[in-house]
Amino acid sequence: MSTPLLRVRGLTKHFPVKGGVLRRTVAQVKAVDGVSFDIERGKTLGLVGESGCGKSTLGRAILRLHEPTEGEVFLEETDVTAASGSELKRLRRNMQIIFQDPFASLSPRRTVFETLREPLDVHRIGTPAERRKKVEELLEVVGLRRAVLHRYPHEFSGGQRQRVGIARALALNPKFIVADEAVSALDVSVQSQVLNLIDDLQSEFGISFLFISHDLAVVQHISHQVGVMYLGKLVETASAGDLYADPKHPYTQALMSAIPVPDPKAGSERIVLSGDVPSPMNPPSGCPFHTRCPAAMPHCSTIEPRMQNLGSEAQPHWVSCHLYGDTPQADNSAD
Amino acid sequence: MALLEVDNLQVEFATDRGIARAIDGVSFEVNEGETLGIVGESGCGKSVTSLSIMGLIPRPPGRIAGGEIRFAGENLTRLPEKAYRKLRGSDISMIFQEPMTALNPVFTIGNQISDVLRRHKGLSRKQARARGIEMLAEVGIPAPEKRIDEYPHQLSGGMRQRVMIAMALSCDPKLLIADEPTTALDVTIQAQVLELIKKLAADHGTAVILITHDLGVVAETCDRAAVMYCGKIIEQGPVDALFEYPRHPYTAGLLASVPRIRPDRLPRLPTIPGIVPDLLDLPRGCRFRDRCGQALERCGQFDPELNADNDAATVAACFNPNPVVTA
Repeated sequence: MSTPLLRVRGLTKHFPVKGGVLRRTVAQVKAVDGVSFDIERGKTLGLVGESGCGKSTLGRAILRLHEPTEGEVFLEETDVTAASGSELKRLRRNMQIIFQDPFASLSPRRTVFETLREPLDVHRIGTPAERRKKVEELLEVVGLRRAVLHRYPHEFSGGQRQRVGIARALALNPKFIVADEAVSALDVSVQSQVLNLIDDLQSEFGISFLFISHDLAVVQHISHQVGVMYLGKLVETASAGDLYADPKHPYTQALMSAIPVPDPKAGSERIVLSGDVPSPMNPPSGCPFHTRCPAAMPHCSTIEPRMQNLGSEAQPHWVSCHLYGDTPQADNSAD
Repeated sequence: MALLEVDNLQVEFATDRGIARAIDGVSFEVNEGETLGIVGESGCGKSVTSLSIMGLIPRPPGRIAGGEIRFAGENLTRLPEKAYRKLRGSDISMIFQEPMTALNPVFTIGNQISDVLRRHKGLSRKQARARGIEMLAEVGIPAPEKRIDEYPHQLSGGMRQRVMIAMALSCDPKLLIADEPTTALDVTIQAQVLELIKKLAADHGTAVILITHDLGVVAETCDRAAVMYCGKIIEQGPVDALFEYPRHPYTAGLLASVPRIRPDRLPRLPTIPGIVPDLLDLPRGCRFRDRCGQALERCGQFDPELNADNDAATVAACFNPNPVVTA
């Protein structure tokens, strides 16, 4: 197996909470807490979880849009977390992001042409004529007509705007793109068009994606590997096939059963979780999920489970749950 | 007689570029105790339909240009504002998508529930508070006697939506309109809230109109559903038939393009080509024609009406619908 394109090791992002008259740090929000995974070349890792689980923070910490508190990120051989100045700028050519709300992430005062040319200007790529040609190519790649070149974002529908957002991410021929809820704001008929576009771009340009979404069905469709996050931690990762065929973690099982299925005859047996997600400022002791877990055991509230591989060496299926393995004290860590 | 009869409703909005007809001849009925789903994509007119029933269309720029809305036999389109106020919150109530914007941030939960009860039921301050605590307990809010004195920002999204439901049901309405009630919530919380709406509606015998873009939510909660496209209902019928044997190509396309968890990943998602047309620049004939794979010559000339086919369980507005499948 070749080396993965992206390696994330023990990535942690804590946000300080300031309080009191002196604005001292009184607590830490553990938004992302020791997350590790790999993304292979030309593959997609889908990251699912509910709001506040830290999935967006994780995506941004990888790109250093948030400065990670701890941990390492490698893009090929380069240490992203250690890069600075010109090196970071060079790295960013290879790492891009697509945001959820294309209306908020595109400047309303810039035409499509100006928006798409900006990354080429910033990185001083090509002559003005070449830049113009590149922008026209980008539009074609994402399925927009050349006539839209001098239009403003408000003149587009949501789906078209998201295509502009995707074109902007593609402008510098990146190797890796974080798609943060990239299709969540779109209507289903348009959502499926954009999902197919992302699929096409991956096969054409061999781009790796971190596809962040709250929608398990969308993630299944687009991903090769899937990770499930809860309160800043990965609780389960496996290939999309294994994870959906045989979800191991009680949280993954509950998430899957909670999705409304567009088939009245499906008659799913639903696991309705009680309560809300606890605050990441004050996460529960032991397993972070034990307060809502239907299968919680006494030691779940005291001992934090470690990641263990329930799959094979070639097809790993990592789960952090005391239901699997024998002794909860055993220290079989993920890496 | 049905509890609610909407008959050929037309709603228009004046815009800079002309008159947009957001609802163009919509008719449906809701029977007592029944749950009707209205489903469609953004801009199809599903929310405008619910606002018209509530008498909340902003005038101007909006106006009800034609048709009737009869609630328990009474035509609401001609109801004076004062009478409407009596109706809202007591006989018909509504829950909105975003509970944070629907609740007033400067009043406690208790204040806001009591307000409804005192206004409509004439309860005293003390009685209203006691009933408020009961309602909060009924919607599954832990420690309701404590929560009632909290402000909306102290509650999570799911809790806020429970408070909205408690408020909406506090006067035992005959009809509850839920406009995207779970869209802002996470799936695990959405499952809780949908269960709650289903249970309470059954317990109280409340009829529900559930407005949503999510076909999965409709399949799991509704008895019947109407699919809207560009201000018209293009197909309606019992949920089972609608999902299993959709007749209108738009219904079928919409159902196919929803990603769902399957044993084997599809190589490509089916899509509906093109985009929803501009309400100010609608194509001639059928509004779906430009995106439809089975359009006929006629579809460009005439606008199809909802048409009952004797053998089909659903009615579809289409000249060339999918064939009737009899089970």
